[in-house]
Amino acid sequence: MSEQLPFFEIRNLHAKVEDKPILKGVNLVINPGETHALMGPNGSGKSTLSNVIMGHPSYEVTGGEILFQGRNIIEMEPDERARAGIFLAFQYPVAIPGISVAKFLKSAADARFGQGAIKASEFIKEMRENLKFLEMNEAFLNRFLNDGFSGGEKKRMEILQMLTLKPSLAVMDETDSGLDIDALRIVSKGVNRMVGPNFGLLVITHYERILTHIKPDHMHVLIDGQIAMSGGPELVKEVEKNGYDWIRARFGKEVLV
Amino acid sequence: MTTVQLTPEAAGLPGFDETLLARIGGAAEPALLQEKRAAAFAQYRELPMPQVRDEEWRRTDPALFPFDRFAPSPRLAPVPRALAASPWDEEFDVVVCVSDDGFSIHDRTGLLNSGSLVVLSLADAATRHPALVERYLQGAARVKAPRKFSALGDAFWTFGLFIHVAPRVVVPNGVLIRYQHRAAGKAVLPHLVAAVSDEAQLTIAEYYESPADAELLAVSTRELYAGRNATLRAASLQEWGARTYHIGEDWVRAERDARVEWVTLLLGGQVSKMMVSCDVHEPNAQAYLSGLFFANDNQHVDQRTLQLHSAPHTYSNLLYKGAVKDQGHSVYQGIIDAAPGAIKVDAYQMNNNLILNEGARADSLPGLEIDADDLKCSHGATMGNLDESQMFYLRSRGLPEAEARRLLVMAFFEEVIERVPHEFMRERVREDVRRKCGEGA
Repeated sequence: MSEQLPFFEIRNLHAKVEDKPILKGVNLVINPGETHALMGPNGSGKSTLSNVIMGHPSYEVTGGEILFQGRNIIEMEPDERARAGIFLAFQYPVAIPGISVAKFLKSAADARFGQGAIKASEFIKEMRENLKFLEMNEAFLNRFLNDGFSGGEKKRMEILQMLTLKPSLAVMDETDSGLDIDALRIVSKGVNRMVGPNFGLLVITHYERILTHIKPDHMHVLIDGQIAMSGGPELVKEVEKNGYDWIRARFGKEVLV
Repeated sequence: MTTVQLTPEAAGLPGFDETLLARIGGAAEPALLQEKRAAAFAQYRELPMPQVRDEEWRRTDPALFPFDRFAPSPRLAPVPRALAASPWDEEFDVVVCVSDDGFSIHDRTGLLNSGSLVVLSLADAATRHPALVERYLQGAARVKAPRKFSALGDAFWTFGLFIHVAPRVVVPNGVLIRYQHRAAGKAVLPHLVAAVSDEAQLTIAEYYESPADAELLAVSTRELYAGRNATLRAASLQEWGARTYHIGEDWVRAERDARVEWVTLLLGGQVSKMMVSCDVHEPNAQAYLSGLFFANDNQHVDQRTLQLHSAPHTYSNLLYKGAVKDQGHSVYQGIIDAAPGAIKVDAYQMNNNLILNEGARADSLPGLEIDADDLKCSHGATMGNLDESQMFYLRSRGLPEAEARRLLVMAFFEEVIERVPHEFMRERVREDVRRKCGEGA
């Protein structure tokens, strides 16, 4: 074996949507057990990055690699990535009237772990336990997926799916936006349940608030499609206090040099 | 495709003539039925044969129904037989089995002995309950004049079933009618008359099937009547084989405070053309009309609905959902017709279509004809393929593309499936939809 295969690494990633370049050379390494936060001004490419990691068909990767457990996943379908253990908690989860939460979770679990890998009775038991943990009513199971859900309910549903599918890498795309204190606490509780030595997490956010619940080991600032600055958790405070302009200024200088 | 030139002058279909009328009806039948058949035959002969130039038939050429290839089946007689075990039957009080060799009526719960529920062949009903047959056969449910194919069915029905619920009787589990035809080259013409008296309640489930390789033709006619404050729930699952042709003509009428639910599920057959007419006839009558159709391979499904509001303060709600795939073609034409003076009418009509690939076609023509003011009418239609963001969402959870598509198609139909009264039928329809989506994407 020549070298240790990276768990998750983004190398010089370029991507565009509708011919508009958004990501212009992103580099990022997440090791197992690490929680990374990603912040950045509007339009810097945060949601694009999460969609590209998941393989959204509207985004075209024009250069670079995304390595997951040693494989370049750029050519993989979104569902292959999910089955391999990547999870995206959506900023705006879509409603799908006509599919119950229970049926959806079972279908997704079957896809991830293999048909019949989990006994129905065990699956139901686990769903109930997860619902209880996320302080959700069991009646959710019979509701149509995200249909008529409040913002907080939708986000809890994302975390319920994460707990069900047990990914090894999760990306949370502004999961905290629009959440009240209680919902944020519950969502964070669910995420922290996943955190451990075999789990990598990327929390994309606008606000420091969620990072007081989900403690990052590393912090990155994305500006104009590139990681402009990386640091430890202390960088969160600085961004919260001083905004992005000083980073932009320094980053611009570095680029100019 | 064989094309038969059918001119208005020669308005009869091959074989459907006096000779056949005498053979199917004739002296063996009660006089009441002979009279009704004769009257219908006269109407049938007078009515012009539908032409492809007629607006209603522009998208479904009458020549798609190759009548010349079929010989009418003889009128079915009762056959003694034990009820073959079917889990569906356990949900019903009465099960009626209709096949090429005859029909049988099975009273599972003894309700027929009580006199509160009548389920008889039309011939037996005409003998034992002539006044009821007189009232309801070609009768009370029909608000408008017969059309060509309803007159054909009235004159030449090969199996007639009469259901009647006495006033204030709630039939707990209802009636299941199973049509299982397999004799290739035959035309079958089932006729159903169901009358639910004032304050009574009934649920009917119908199921049609034929083998995939047997070429058959069916002309079905139904007359459903709900008296004052009565409830009638009915669902019809058409799962004919791929070489069966079907024309259907239905009337449903609801009197004061009555509620009717009528679900049409068209999944099988080569070419189907169904007309569902409903009259909310007296104030506070409510009708819920639902349809599900899925045309794949080279299936052709044409549906026409009429929501007739004869009286003020009446309510109708129609939801028809269809999918087309492969070379499938569907047509939906809807009419809301409010009679002069029918104020405070609330009528809703919606037709949603999924077009799953290029080459498949769906035509939707919702419409209103209104002669009154002060009413609430809304109608609409949608067309489109599956939602891309929903597809991505499902795939991001690990569902392969084909499975995600299947789930979304099933989700699309679920709103209609939920209106089907029986869970076994709901499950069956879900299976059919899943199968028709296919293994591939």
